[in-house]
Amino acid sequence: MQRLTIALSVALTLGAQTVAFAQGRPDFSGTWRISQSKSSRNVIGNTPDIQFPSQLEVKQTATDISVVATSVRQRPLSATYKLDGSKVDVQTPEGITETGQAMLNGANLVITSRRSFSSPAGDVVVDFKEVWTANGSELTVEKTRTQVGDTPSTQKAVYDKF
Amino acid sequence: MRIILALATVSLGVLLAAAPLQAHHSFSATYDGNKPITLRGTIVKMGWQNPHAHLYVDVKNADGKVVTWEVESAGPTALMKQGLRKEDFVGAEVIIKGFLAKDGTPTVNASSFTLVDAKKEFVSDEKTP
Repeated sequence: MQRLTIALSVALTLGAQTVAFAQGRPDFSGTWRISQSKSSRNVIGNTPDIQFPSQLEVKQTATDISVVATSVRQRPLSATYKLDGSKVDVQTPEGITETGQAMLNGANLVITSRRSFSSPAGDVVVDFKEVWTANGSELTVEKTRTQVGDTPSTQKAVYDKF
Repeated sequence: MRIILALATVSLGVLLAAAPLQAHHSFSATYDGNKPITLRGTIVKMGWQNPHAHLYVDVKNADGKVVTWEVESAGPTALMKQGLRKEDFVGAEVIIKGFLAKDGTPTVNASSFTLVDAKKEFVSDEKTP
């Protein structure tokens, strides 16, 4: 009887911890497509202020989150971020290098990255910060772009789960 | 003979259809959304035509070399609605925010540009109020 009580107690404790973990940890997994109607005018159409991918494919585990970002007629970017915030290489098209890191911050996922590429004006370095917030079937991404010598600009895009 | 005539008609149609496409291309076909860039320079020439006005801007590189950039911006009507006139341009210092062309040439699609002296920002067609 004592053994049974101990076993039940352990099982209940572990179960409760699992539920608490699942409830407290946001999950961004899924295929997300940008919503033209819900997103700012400044991120859609022909001349966006900040480019947002038209689709995000996200897979999340307890330790990692992998993101494949695709857009029409644009080359995709992908990365598997460690959720402990360690720096990883982003898979980029030829001619672009990028490193990034991701961390969960409460209900948000925060991804920061630094992208470098060459241009006829010389080498360009751009910093990005993305704050993701998932709310059921809706994902909001707030993105800030900063280039050396320039004022930062921030825009928001909304994605629907597909 | 009929077949040749039909083929010629179709070919002409394709050519005529392609002409406006070249003039009014999509952002995604020509520009690299993964390569945002901010440039600062002096406007040396203005192409005030539809569907997009083009600025030609001298930008000094880090090594001191000056490169003339072609900047595709909003159409003249959208710019005029924002208070800009063709004669406001040449010689003005400008800050351009946009995206590099895919072909690696000094060409950029401007999401906005700011005339430094006027402290006024002009935005692309779709964002015109």
